[in-house]
Amino acid sequence: MENELVLKLEKSIEQIKNKNARIYFFVQETKGNAKASIRYIYDFALALYKDKYNVIMLTEKSDFTPIDTWLSGEYSQIPHQPIEGGTLAIAPEDLFFLPEIFGFVMEQIKNLPCAKIVIAQGYDYILETLQPGASWSDFGFLKCITTSEVMKTKVMKTMRNVSFDIIEPLISETFTEQVLPPKPIISVHTREQRDGINLIKEFYLRFPQYRWITFRDLRGVSEKDFAQSIKESFLSVWIDPTSSWGSFPLESMKVGVPVIGLTPFLKHEWMTEENGIWIENPMNLTDIIADFVLNWLEDNITPKLIESGKESTQEFSNRENFDNKVKTLINDIFEVRINNFEEQLNRLKETN
Amino acid sequence: MKTFDISVILPIKSALAKNFDEFFQNAVSSVLNQKRQIKELVIVHTAEENLVKKLNTFDFSGVTVNLLEYNGEPNFCSQVNYGVENCNSEWFSILEFDDEYSPIWFDNVEKYMGHYNDVDIFLPIVIDIDTKGSFAGFTNEATFASSFTTEIGILDNEILHSYQNFQIAGMVMKKDKFVELGKFKPTMKLTFGYEFFLRMTYHSLRIMTIPKFGYKHLNMREGGIFWNYKNGNHVMSENEVRFWIETAKKEYYFVEDREIKYEVQMD
Repeated sequence: MENELVLKLEKSIEQIKNKNARIYFFVQETKGNAKASIRYIYDFALALYKDKYNVIMLTEKSDFTPIDTWLSGEYSQIPHQPIEGGTLAIAPEDLFFLPEIFGFVMEQIKNLPCAKIVIAQGYDYILETLQPGASWSDFGFLKCITTSEVMKTKVMKTMRNVSFDIIEPLISETFTEQVLPPKPIISVHTREQRDGINLIKEFYLRFPQYRWITFRDLRGVSEKDFAQSIKESFLSVWIDPTSSWGSFPLESMKVGVPVIGLTPFLKHEWMTEENGIWIENPMNLTDIIADFVLNWLEDNITPKLIESGKESTQEFSNRENFDNKVKTLINDIFEVRINNFEEQLNRLKETN
Repeated sequence: MKTFDISVILPIKSALAKNFDEFFQNAVSSVLNQKRQIKELVIVHTAEENLVKKLNTFDFSGVTVNLLEYNGEPNFCSQVNYGVENCNSEWFSILEFDDEYSPIWFDNVEKYMGHYNDVDIFLPIVIDIDTKGSFAGFTNEATFASSFTTEIGILDNEILHSYQNFQIAGMVMKKDKFVELGKFKPTMKLTFGYEFFLRMTYHSLRIMTIPKFGYKHLNMREGGIFWNYKNGNHVMSENEVRFWIETAKKEYYFVEDREIKYEVQMD
């Protein structure tokens, strides 16, 4: 029995060292719509996949909409596996990453022998599917990867006994700088669709002279079309009070499109007075947009706004840096796992 | 300051118009206030004594001026045609003496030319003001309205068949295309601009509106062309207006200005 345990531990260590340990990422069905939080997980997985780790994307159902319907590139090469109708092979050396929104899954997988890690990108989803009083650590999730310092601070207050690491999201290479002069188009991205619709209706009613300005609600489009729409715009409007990162404003800023945004409850570290027009009161939004439109039509927008926006996105636009951070993190996690296994192994050998 | 290869054509019939001096001063200043220096200002004027005197004594320092006396029957179309034929640039623009360019206009035209070298005519967003100086609306903005554009910002023949209100003043156009495709047709009365755009788009010229305020246009100035059609000696009936619109839709196939007369239809 003890010999068997020794062999298992030795095999686990070997599996990790040979990069054969499985790294599972549980992902949500997007039905073909671009979703920044899912792209974050895929970027994370891709960094490891390219480094020859044994990465597997876990989907709930077998008829999962292929990722390449909205996310082009190497992402679709990562192996996908549905949970439905199959058995999940899990060994102690494996890692299981679960997005915070799947709190209800934690209960079901709490007995899995592998290391379980939460990916937290939206603080408002953290408690949504957990029973009152339940915490991640109750289900063996003792580590969390999140996107920013403010997120970490916020989540730490709720989820005790969990260690946190930060990996900032990567702004995709799809978002390249605007080359052609923009058109009179305003890209809109809102958490709630009705906020976008109401904004557009209010704007046209209050400023009928600008009815020829087109608003584009960037919902349900591929990443390529999403990026193209931003590129054609002269302004991006962002309404997401519970945002935990702000992919849309950062993507706009990288392209060179100024952003008017409602300051989220969690003000992000990257938001400065120079890189965007951040407002506190949503009641002023259409007035501020109309002022911006007038100034843009008169060439009165300070280039500093655009330049500062671009500068702010530089640190999040380097894939190599992102990949290195992810690999370092995973190496650290595996190193700790190996140490634990070796300690157990030594104890067993000493006992023998 | 960089010079932009463009001639501004400014036709003037008379200096007797109300507030002429103020209007004219503002129009010329709007040329001088550009971030790009133009090649020349071509003023096509009549032989009216008072006008000639004013032009000869006006301080045009800062711009090269070419004063051209037009001795034919004075009207806006013929005077502009004459000015374009005699200008010395690859591009030209039309300025009315009671209007003004915005200071950013030619800078933007040059920027857009750098990106869109297939465009033959650039239109500004025109701010229309009334005689009291109040905002009355925009013109040329309809090329951006998603309800009838196939390509955002581009004026095509199809749009023109459903909407006529586009403005030639302030536009920047290639001289050779203008001359080759028949210039303005004085015969077309108040729909000369409409017929012109129909004809240009029929000949596949690419017309783009630059989404910037480029030109301020005074609407219905007393004594102006359109004011005269509504209030002057030759008031046009609704039937005649309709006639000229329908005529424009037929005449744009022809490059030459054919003689057309409106006759009152008796029921």
